Amino acid sequence: MDPAIRQSLQAGEQLGLRYALQIPQTASSGSGPRSGRRAGSSIDFQDYRDYQPGDDLRFIDWGIYARSDRLTIKLFREEVAPHLDLVLDGSRSMGLEQSRKPEAAALLAALLATSAANAQCSQAVWLSGEGFHRLPNDTLSPSAWDKMAWESARTPQQSIEILPPKLRRLGVRVLISDLLWPGEPLPLVRRLREGAAALFVVQLLARADATPPEHGNLRLVDSETGEETEIYIDSVIAKQYASNLAMLQQSWADACRQCGAQMTTLIAENLENSLSELESIQLLAPA
Amino acid sequence: MIPLLTYPLALIALATIPALTAIYILRNRFRRRQVSSLVLWRFHAQSKAGGAKVHRLQLPLLFFLELLALLLLVAAATGPRWKLPQSSRPLIVVLNDSFSMRALQDGASTQDRAKDFLQKLFRRQPPPYTRLILAGAQPHSLGSTVARWSEVNRLLSQWKCWSSAAAMDSAITLASEIGGGQANILVLTDHKPADQMISNPRLEWHAFGRPLDNFAIVNASRTAFGGQDRCLLEIANDSDATHSTHLRVQAGSNTVQSSEISLGPRQSQRLVFNIPSTVPSLRATLDPDALAADNEIELLPPVRKHVRVRVALTNENLSAMVNRALDATGFRAALDQNPDLVIHADDSPVGSNAWDVTWSTIGATNTYAGPFIVDNSHPLAEGITLDGVIWTAAAATNVPGDVPVILAGNVPLLSEREDFLGRRHITLNLNPALSTVEDTPDWPILFWDILSWRTSEMPGLADSNARLGTEVILKTDREPVAITQPDGTQISFPKVGDELAIETPMPGIYSVVLGPATNQFSVNTLAADESDLSQCASGQWGKWSDDPVQRLAETSAVWIFGLLALAFLAAHMYLVAAAQGKS
Repeated sequence: MDPAIRQSLQAGEQLGLRYALQIPQTASSGSGPRSGRRAGSSIDFQDYRDYQPGDDLRFIDWGIYARSDRLTIKLFREEVAPHLDLVLDGSRSMGLEQSRKPEAAALLAALLATSAANAQCSQAVWLSGEGFHRLPNDTLSPSAWDKMAWESARTPQQSIEILPPKLRRLGVRVLISDLLWPGEPLPLVRRLREGAAALFVVQLLARADATPPEHGNLRLVDSETGEETEIYIDSVIAKQYASNLAMLQQSWADACRQCGAQMTTLIAENLENSLSELESIQLLAPA
Repeated sequence: MIPLLTYPLALIALATIPALTAIYILRNRFRRRQVSSLVLWRFHAQSKAGGAKVHRLQLPLLFFLELLALLLLVAAATGPRWKLPQSSRPLIVVLNDSFSMRALQDGASTQDRAKDFLQKLFRRQPPPYTRLILAGAQPHSLGSTVARWSEVNRLLSQWKCWSSAAAMDSAITLASEIGGGQANILVLTDHKPADQMISNPRLEWHAFGRPLDNFAIVNASRTAFGGQDRCLLEIANDSDATHSTHLRVQAGSNTVQSSEISLGPRQSQRLVFNIPSTVPSLRATLDPDALAADNEIELLPPVRKHVRVRVALTNENLSAMVNRALDATGFRAALDQNPDLVIHADDSPVGSNAWDVTWSTIGATNTYAGPFIVDNSHPLAEGITLDGVIWTAAAATNVPGDVPVILAGNVPLLSEREDFLGRRHITLNLNPALSTVEDTPDWPILFWDILSWRTSEMPGLADSNARLGTEVILKTDREPVAITQPDGTQISFPKVGDELAIETPMPGIYSVVLGPATNQFSVNTLAADESDLSQCASGQWGKWSDDPVQRLAETSAVWIFGLLALAFLAAHMYLVAAAQGKS
């Protein structure tokens, strides 16, 4: 793995110690180390309520029955095991040369994984390629991850069609991608949102993606397909580029809103100063 | 095709076009840049999809504006001319430059009246452009064409009226050639045309002269006459009535003559008198009259050149005869050091600057009684007849390179040649003991011719007095020459040949500095025809015909190209400013 990526993972791990993943109330999956909001089968008492037919007779508080002749059920806290699925866009556009996008993506993934650990949350890291595959050692700390590379010629949309990730139900899902591919975003958002406690879409752009190049003649090379096109950049073209980017972001925002997902955009070269955006969408909270 | 090599400015401007193109191509070449995805550039990719496969060069509008401006400047530098309709014709003015135009009446000269007429013509009907031609002894054009009266007036300052003649016909011919039948020709003079029926529809002849009585000095000379100078003055009465005037002749500060001269109609009087050769300047004046220029002359002492002669003949009798003949010429200098001429019996070297006469009598036993062939155009044979002469000479043939002057059959009796230093070598094939040449007038004439020719080739002025308009010959040793004219104008000739012809455009005393020596010569207005004012007249002959159709004349279109170039550059600046405002 690229040493720069490894270094970014370690930096993200250090940075993530300051944060904890915000777990939605609906996020639970089996018994786990974390108490849920609902009643469950832990040993932590939560409340009483009247007995209803079908309740487990083992939880009847016989002392209350002796004193008040009423059947009352003891409720205990639910024990939940929250889970974070990090869905990483492994396409080549995330490894854009002459930008900090690959390092920023690694740092962001490591930060989220570490903050999830802080929130007693399990994790899985899915990287798109010829289908979605888990990163080796993704359950360990980020510095132990391996084979994190941005070499796929396929978009996440195409990858999910080939081999979708096995995402845990009621888990928190975070998609990290630049979202720069053609096509309708709604199917992908809907598919990721399905069965999730929450879905966060983090658009990670290089500064070169966010701002059009300076005026002049350019031979543009698509980092994913290698397709080339020549264009003269002037103020009109620059304005149209900015408009296209805004339209793309708006379509993703609309799709997220329709599916109840949260979306934010971060600039790779300014990532450390943009983490408050992740707090504002209630993905992270200070630890 | 534009002959660009004849327009250096256009060539330079054209050379900037490839430079500009190269700058833009290098500046606008496509830089490679990787982007995350072309999805955001899809608008451009879509427009390309249906277009040409070959990408044409992406050059901005600014480039084409600059290119157009440069091309317009190239075109402007070639001086384009368009034919445009003209309402009036160009004007060529022929100006009589003879000194008769200086004749005064009522305080105004003929030249002044002609200038006034020309100025009024410009006010009334200014021509598109004007050219002036001076009709002096030879016609010549004054500068190039001008448009405004101020420019014409500036050129008129060269109209001095100091010529001794006015070649009006030649000047009109020159004007016709320049005008090419398109220009109006205006003649400003003081007399009527020879043919009063002017057939040229483009010629107008205006005369502003008045028939006036005039006394004039029409001839004056001062020549060497032994130890004295002989002077000749001729005064003429150019009028149809008897008039008198007062003649004053001053030799230096002394008055030589002061007398009243009365002459009948068209009469002239010659005065001949001698003055000492030591008198530096002789001035003669007449009473003031209509033309002041011919009332005064100044004569300087004639040029007297003497030849240092060394006679190196071994025959004493012959040497004595030659010395007597040389002394009789009056050209011989008293000294014979550094001789200018050596007469000897062999052809031994005689010095760096000397001519020589080789007089060989060896084998001269053949007697010739004629006929003799004499080249009278040669300076050595001037005045020689050889009538009844018996000439004994050697029966030689002409040496190649020698110019025979006197021949008896094919035997050269007198010949000469010039060497590479310009020295003359004269060969005399004569045995005087058996000849009768020394007993005839041809003997002293021969020696006079030899010394006269030698003096004429010695450095210095040929004459000290000249008529206005003639050339004064100056012989030099290739030294620098500086001439100061009577009005103070100085002309320098750093490099000259053996001979310099000095022009005399005005009367007065000219100074000539030749090496360390300073010489002077006098120029006098001596021209009987110009002094005769009785034939002067006023009036107009001929008239420019009206133009039946509108005429096309070439007009410079440089300004149009310049304006267009400026407009493109202004648009360029606007676009640059607008682009900066947007960014």
